[in-house]
Amino acid sequence: MLKSKTFVKKTRSGGVMKVVREHYLRDDIWCGSEVCTECKQDSAVLQRDACIESSLCPYPHYLVPDTNIVLRQIDVLEDPVIRNVIILQTVLQEVRHRSAPVYKRLKDIIHEQGRHFYTFTNEHHRETFIEREPGESANDRNDRAIRVAVKWYSQHLKTAESGSDGLKVVLLTNDQGNKLKAEENGLVVYKFDEYIKSLIGNPELVDCLALSNDDKNEVTSSKVLFPEHLPLSKVQAGIKSGSFLQGTFRASRDNYLEATVFVQGEGEDSTEVLIQGLQNLNRAVHQDVVAVQLLPKNQWVAPSSVVLQDDGAAKDDNVDEDEEEKLTGPLTETARRATGKVVGIIKRNWRPFCGMLNVSQIKESTRHLFTPADRHIPRIRIETRQASTLAGQRIMVAIDGWPKDSRYPNGHFVRSLGGAGEKDTEEEVLLLEHDVPHQAFSQAVLSFLPKMPWSITPEDMAQRQDLRHLTVCSVDPPGCTDIDDALHYRELENGKLEVGVHIADVSHFIRPGNALDKEAANRGTTVYLCGKRIDMVPELLSSNLCSLRSNVERFAFSCIWELNHKAEILKTRFTKSVINSKASLTYAEAQMRIDDASKNDDITKSLRGLNKLAKILKRKRIENGALTLSSLEVRFHMDSETHDPIDLQTKELVETNSMVEEFMLLANISVAQKIYDEFPESALLRKHPAPPPSNYDILIKAAKSKNVMIHTDSAKALADSLDVAKVDGFQYFNTLLRILATRCMMQAVYFCSGMDSDFHHYGLASPIYTHFTSPIRRYADIIVHRLLAVAIGADSTYPDLMDKHKQSTLCNNLNYRHKMSQYAQRASVAFHTQLFFKTRGILNEEGFVLFVRKNAIIVLIPKFGLEGTVFFDSKDKASPNLVFDEEGPTLKVEQHTFHIFDQVKVTISLDDSNIQHQKIRMALTEPVIPGVSVPVPEAEPQAKKQKLDR
Amino acid sequence: MATVQVSEAEKVYILHGIRDDLRVDGRGCEDYRHMEVETDVVSNTDGSAKVTLGHTAVLVGIKAEIGKPRPMIANQGYLEFFVDCSANATPEFEGRGGEELGTELSNTLYKVFNNQHSLDLKSLCISPGEHCWVLYVDVLLLQCDGNLYDAISVAIKAALFNTKIPKVHISSDEEGGKEIELSDDPYDCMRLDVENVPCIVTLCKIGHRHVVDATLQEKACSVASLIISVTHKGIITCSRKVGRGSLDPESICEMIEAGKRVGKALHPPLMKLLQQEESLGNKRQKVGFLG
Repeated sequence: MLKSKTFVKKTRSGGVMKVVREHYLRDDIWCGSEVCTECKQDSAVLQRDACIESSLCPYPHYLVPDTNIVLRQIDVLEDPVIRNVIILQTVLQEVRHRSAPVYKRLKDIIHEQGRHFYTFTNEHHRETFIEREPGESANDRNDRAIRVAVKWYSQHLKTAESGSDGLKVVLLTNDQGNKLKAEENGLVVYKFDEYIKSLIGNPELVDCLALSNDDKNEVTSSKVLFPEHLPLSKVQAGIKSGSFLQGTFRASRDNYLEATVFVQGEGEDSTEVLIQGLQNLNRAVHQDVVAVQLLPKNQWVAPSSVVLQDDGAAKDDNVDEDEEEKLTGPLTETARRATGKVVGIIKRNWRPFCGMLNVSQIKESTRHLFTPADRHIPRIRIETRQASTLAGQRIMVAIDGWPKDSRYPNGHFVRSLGGAGEKDTEEEVLLLEHDVPHQAFSQAVLSFLPKMPWSITPEDMAQRQDLRHLTVCSVDPPGCTDIDDALHYRELENGKLEVGVHIADVSHFIRPGNALDKEAANRGTTVYLCGKRIDMVPELLSSNLCSLRSNVERFAFSCIWELNHKAEILKTRFTKSVINSKASLTYAEAQMRIDDASKNDDITKSLRGLNKLAKILKRKRIENGALTLSSLEVRFHMDSETHDPIDLQTKELVETNSMVEEFMLLANISVAQKIYDEFPESALLRKHPAPPPSNYDILIKAAKSKNVMIHTDSAKALADSLDVAKVDGFQYFNTLLRILATRCMMQAVYFCSGMDSDFHHYGLASPIYTHFTSPIRRYADIIVHRLLAVAIGADSTYPDLMDKHKQSTLCNNLNYRHKMSQYAQRASVAFHTQLFFKTRGILNEEGFVLFVRKNAIIVLIPKFGLEGTVFFDSKDKASPNLVFDEEGPTLKVEQHTFHIFDQVKVTISLDDSNIQHQKIRMALTEPVIPGVSVPVPEAEPQAKKQKLDR
Repeated sequence: MATVQVSEAEKVYILHGIRDDLRVDGRGCEDYRHMEVETDVVSNTDGSAKVTLGHTAVLVGIKAEIGKPRPMIANQGYLEFFVDCSANATPEFEGRGGEELGTELSNTLYKVFNNQHSLDLKSLCISPGEHCWVLYVDVLLLQCDGNLYDAISVAIKAALFNTKIPKVHISSDEEGGKEIELSDDPYDCMRLDVENVPCIVTLCKIGHRHVVDATLQEKACSVASLIISVTHKGIITCSRKVGRGSLDPESICEMIEAGKRVGKALHPPLMKLLQQEESLGNKRQKVGFLG
């Protein structure tokens, strides 16, 4: 039977379009129940005895949630207790339309076999399809469709022979109107919380319930604390007319009463609007997209430098007016910034937050405050009866809403991650907090993996060049299982040299557009934590089929140069190939082979040849102005059983590191040039913008204090002046300068060549650059592989590859993931450092002053690559006399003046007074400043205590 | 123009019959053939109607789109006509064969329908000088058996009656920027007042008399015809002579009187029919093109 669905919609050009879709109704849609004998289904999803023990429904029953239940209560639906649920197509479509993440979660539940979730395509069922009636809103129509489907189900199951089982269909809705109408129709209907509370066996589910609207009113006093948010239509009109600004809300880390809204302007010009005070913040949460209205100029204020943490647990709903007053710092005209207030929320960006529970002082209370680990996020009020178990655990909480009469947002408990301070828990927390997708790969993704045992077929060989006879070897860090690059070197008969870089051919296995590709594109990069790796592609690929291990045949994408002895490129050629690596070496092993004069096998000879060329290449690069920067990287020695760090050392670089690096750079540059020549509009490249001159201020000042001049006019000038910067008797000076210089740099980013005109890579001093050499761990490289394959005619193209806007969106995601993975990596190192110091107690170490701040110095301990802050003022102690000079910059503490690069001695210890934010605490021991420095610790309890206060 | 070959003897037969007020198919001089009207036949238009008159069949579809009002008449919307002479109707229309006829028909339709007296064009205005509704009236000739004008005019009237224009309202902000907002309810739409929409009556001068609704054979016997558009009140809004021959003033007056009479009588049954059909709503069994 044919029906048509008609609706009108606005076109982009402002016109109105009538859209008519054909809609076919069928009579072969089955109900999916085991009970039913009428329907000719192959396998029934819904069970015959569908028992969830409930005091409301003692009979077996199927559940039908409506759209709002699914959207708001997905956390509960995910619980394995909830089984035998009918998800109507109407609901599924609406959920998909309203929230993509919830839709994905719902789909995942449906695919889980043991859950018995059945999707009933009621919209195409002859008897359950309804047409919208005149005067009926879309929502009402959908509610009616749900009721009609439930009615159909209950009658259908009744007529089935075994109706005597008393199997019923229960509609779950929180909508009062819908519920009444359903009752009129004689359906079994309950409110969701009623039903969940009636579950006899599972009282803990109640905690996961999201608060519905009418609950919220009970929670809070009737006092209205916040102004109403404007409706979206008004907000949009306001933004269009320019009276409001749209931007991303960024809460201040240190001051819960302050935030900035970042307003993206045209091109480069973007502004920040300051927001101060609870009323003006108006329930916006970090990362929300909000509309702000600027205040009149005479109400503009300066950002306060006060650190304020919200500890209003006891006072709860009273706005701390005295704290608000504290905000108003000195109001010099220059310090004032554009100040505004939030008038509306355009898009909430709430995700489940990790954190810990502050158990309420009142014992019987079920309402508790939750403190998120991320200090940008306000505390959240949740309701739970398991407070005593949850105390001391890391938990996740989702925000449900923030009513205008509540000081805190309301939320609900999602799940527990485990005990705070435990390694697994903390790792999970840092992955979640950095938005690193780390779930196991789904079945859909895994289904696109090649079938094992995998072997190379003759067809594959026909399309590839056979390079198995070459002496290819790989050099990687120890313990590396995802080897994505290998090298070869040989002397040609014409006296020239041939060097090949062979990169794992990941794009052969990951075909564009499939689930595997989408997952990899979303993850963007493999994340390396201490002792753990979060793969971008499933392990079968990353550690086996793509990994260029020794003595197995592997597919590679090869970049082969013909060079002369001056390392000048004569010819470049790209080809898909099959290689057989002769050896997988570590950097140290390779170095040993090169140095060991007694070895003269093929591999060693190639290594020596490569090393020689690499040195020439490096010299040339540095002559061109490439920067050699420095940052301390730390390596932990892990205990093989507990995986706890037992020792820590800074990473050492040997010649072979830079040997591999040189050839990778060369390959990347060659490929970048090739794909840009071929696809000037859609090549994926990587650029590193030159930093603005002001970034170098701190570096120049710091060098000046030691009478060294640093020139920053160009990368070359900087590189040269860094090379000559030396101070007698201060060996570490140069490294420190380079560390500082690194901090002045901009982030390198991926971009699409069609969307930008500046391609320069500042750090490498290359006019063009891309990433080609690590496709196993970076998605950008996969795209570059595909582009190159198309360019050399080895593979076919597809539309998205050539679409510069799609490429550009992809780049944004890759840049974001890349940044987050770096943060996660750092956080992981920091956590392991803490674990390390936990067992070490208090240490006394030498360090250098890296930065000087108003009330503190930042000290670098080279031995551990550790940076920490020594504060000179504290909350409960009279602070010493501090004089800060911005020109130096220097800080005078009582009698002693600190300069950048001063050598100091500090004690290091772990401060675990705040279990959520454990910290490395440093305290000064040398130079000795009375009242400020602490005595050298010889396990004096007194000293320890002092160190813990700031 | 679609024509048939008629022999001299046949012509005489037809001529003599008409002289005695008796036509070949048994009608009187002022009688129409059997007419069928069905509205809402093309779902992706905003209004449509199909009319068959004897063997003549036309389909009219109306699409409403937002456009800019004409500069001289800023507070009115307007209509656009396009007549497609499909080669289905007659092989003569093949290629560009129907173009000339199409242009001629649409020119007449502009004259008859695109004015404030026939249709309240002001109601099509959304915001004066900026946005108005433009009704694209597409006429498709499915079969030609004479008297195209009358069939087309009835079909247009029916299609206009059937037209549902989505309701829009203009939201404006302080600075005068205007935004069109669309109601999300597909049933929330504007209807047109078609009371004053005229119907065309074509009178064919055959011998000394004139007939309405001439078949192709009858047309072949006539040298000239007069087309008159008449409203339900009997007001003549437009008249035009077509054909090679000439008409003497006296017979023009006669023809106009007859046209007025016939045209006035055409409206009430048509309106009654349309309203009846409308009241059936969704329950109506559609006939469509296969019925």
